[in-house]
Amino acid sequence: MAELATIARPYANAVFELAKRDDALADWSRMLEVLTATTGYEPVIRLLDSPDLPATSKAFRLAEVCGDELDDRGKKFLQSLAEHDRLGLIGEVREQFEALRAEELKSLDVEVVSAFPLSDAQSDALKQALSNKFGKEIAIESRVDQGLIGGAVIRAGDMVIDGSVRGKLQKLAENLGQL
Amino acid sequence: MQQLNPSEISDIIKNRIQGLDVKAEAKNEGTIVGVSDGIVRIHGLADAQYGEMIEFDGGLYGMALNLERDSVGVVILGDYENLTEGMTARCTGRILEVPVGRELLGRVVDALGNPIDGKGPLNASMTAPIEKVAPGVIARESVNQPVQIGLKCVDAMVPIGRGQRELLISDRQIGKTAIAIDAIINQKRSGIKCVYVAIGQKMSTIANIVRTLEEFGAMEYTTVVAASASDPAPMQFIAPYSGCSMGEFFRDHGEDALVIYDDLTKQAWAYRQISLLLKRPPGREAYPGDVFYLHSRLLERAARVNAAYVEQFTNGAVKGQTGSLTALPIIETQAGDISAFVPTNVISITDGQIFLETQAFNSGLRPAMNPGTSVSRVGGSAQVPFMKKISGGIKLALAQYRELAAFSQFASDLDDATRRQLEHGERVTELMKQKQYAPMSVAEMGTSLFAANEGYLRDVAVDKVLDFEAALLSYMRSEHAEFMNDIDENGTYNDDVVATLHDAIKKFKDTQSF
Repeated sequence: MAELATIARPYANAVFELAKRDDALADWSRMLEVLTATTGYEPVIRLLDSPDLPATSKAFRLAEVCGDELDDRGKKFLQSLAEHDRLGLIGEVREQFEALRAEELKSLDVEVVSAFPLSDAQSDALKQALSNKFGKEIAIESRVDQGLIGGAVIRAGDMVIDGSVRGKLQKLAENLGQL
Repeated sequence: MQQLNPSEISDIIKNRIQGLDVKAEAKNEGTIVGVSDGIVRIHGLADAQYGEMIEFDGGLYGMALNLERDSVGVVILGDYENLTEGMTARCTGRILEVPVGRELLGRVVDALGNPIDGKGPLNASMTAPIEKVAPGVIARESVNQPVQIGLKCVDAMVPIGRGQRELLISDRQIGKTAIAIDAIINQKRSGIKCVYVAIGQKMSTIANIVRTLEEFGAMEYTTVVAASASDPAPMQFIAPYSGCSMGEFFRDHGEDALVIYDDLTKQAWAYRQISLLLKRPPGREAYPGDVFYLHSRLLERAARVNAAYVEQFTNGAVKGQTGSLTALPIIETQAGDISAFVPTNVISITDGQIFLETQAFNSGLRPAMNPGTSVSRVGGSAQVPFMKKISGGIKLALAQYRELAAFSQFASDLDDATRRQLEHGERVTELMKQKQYAPMSVAEMGTSLFAANEGYLRDVAVDKVLDFEAALLSYMRSEHAEFMNDIDENGTYNDDVVATLHDAIKKFKDTQSF
């Protein structure tokens, strides 16, 4: 959500700068992943939504649930979120943190949806071409969707390259519809 | 109905398929996160530009108006009922454009330039962005050629020049549109191309206007841009800019054009609606902070440009021709309140205004122009010499009449000179009346005003003044046709012309009845 992103930005920036200074990007990434996964768990959701607990004790219990996965810095992060009653933002903070981290590491997650499974050679060729285009290390996540009929759709963040037969047919339909 | 030719249709389809560009290209995509009253908020679209066209599924377009850090606010140009949260939207890399060119003459189009008159595709080969920066100082030429409206009161007292912005302002139903339509009809003589932009009006009213224009053969050189009351607010907001771009085509190609915005009050309302929905802070009368700029940037594009600009614009195809775009914006006041926000803004932007008064209208004076408060700040230097000489006396007579009108009820106690002035003023006021759809040529207007100036109306009863005028003009047309044509063409004013007019009017009064 647009508004959540705005609120989460200072937290994500702070965490990212801290992690970069301590050279602990991977640690933080791991901690945020655990926190996000935990907050998606039904009893934890109920805990976080419960109106009769103050935010600081919610943060305390959340840290307890995570146990050893969370170090001191992680617990302090939770407390500072709780101080402003922003525990609901963990997922958003993680998303922005990962975006910043990817930028820092010059890596790009690309989703490739194709009509048929990609062969290794195709996947490598695609990786090479995309890395030339974006100038970044490419991590491909491929998925098969037969609804595309043929070709593939490549999605990298906001950028979308639609080379599927379905997309072409749609374009044709729109074009003919204007007659 | 036109007969459908099957081979023709498959040809069209074949061409369409051949011409279709299906290259896969990288596009900036975003996701709709909120839909409300024709406004959508889109997450993503990091590359969106201000005013860029945003494409939705199903060939629907929008315009990016709010660029925020995490979202883009887009107004939808069309039906937004089918949009839902989670749908995708794509950047097109194009600023909103409309078709322009000669193909649009005689057509009725919507605010995006799509034909809505059922006469088939436009086949316009050119497009132009709807928002353009007005020509600068270097590109401009002074306003010194007239636009004849064909109404005695306007052409004599508030003359309009090519490239001028003259505001028409009054309450509803007093005759603003009537003046504008007469102005279009009268351009049959001048060859000025016209664009009529209808904003927030009833479709039936627009249809009536189009029919009237067709009846008088005025659609041949006119484009109607219609954004009716049932069109979404963004369409009403952009319609004037679209119409302006269509008129600018002629200006930039060394021709003259006249654009009428009917009316800008409704455009400001539409813009206020959009702005409030986009959560921009409301100011005076709940209008957003940039409502002045909304109108000033539009009206600034009405201009007269010099030959060098035209030559540069057309890459040397048109040489030695100046171009102009004259604007007649219309503002509707509420209960005569001209000090409301939008009227004061537009009054200060334009080069003069024509005030129409409810009281004058109700007392039978039509057009109901108030000669005291109506002004034209630049048109005087554009008037043809013939009209300029003659109109001076008319303005004076009406000014004196206004001053004395309060005493008119004591007519019996007044001295002769005052009474004569009052009587003269009464006749001139009567002479300013003119029927709708009956614009007059320069020679016709000049002749009847000359008769008034020189006192030929003194022995004509007030209620016979218009009959006298009609008879005089038909006499002049039949007996002095050459003289009248000469004045229409050259507009010269000299002793010969004065002598001919005196002789003709005297002879008319001696020999004719009315």
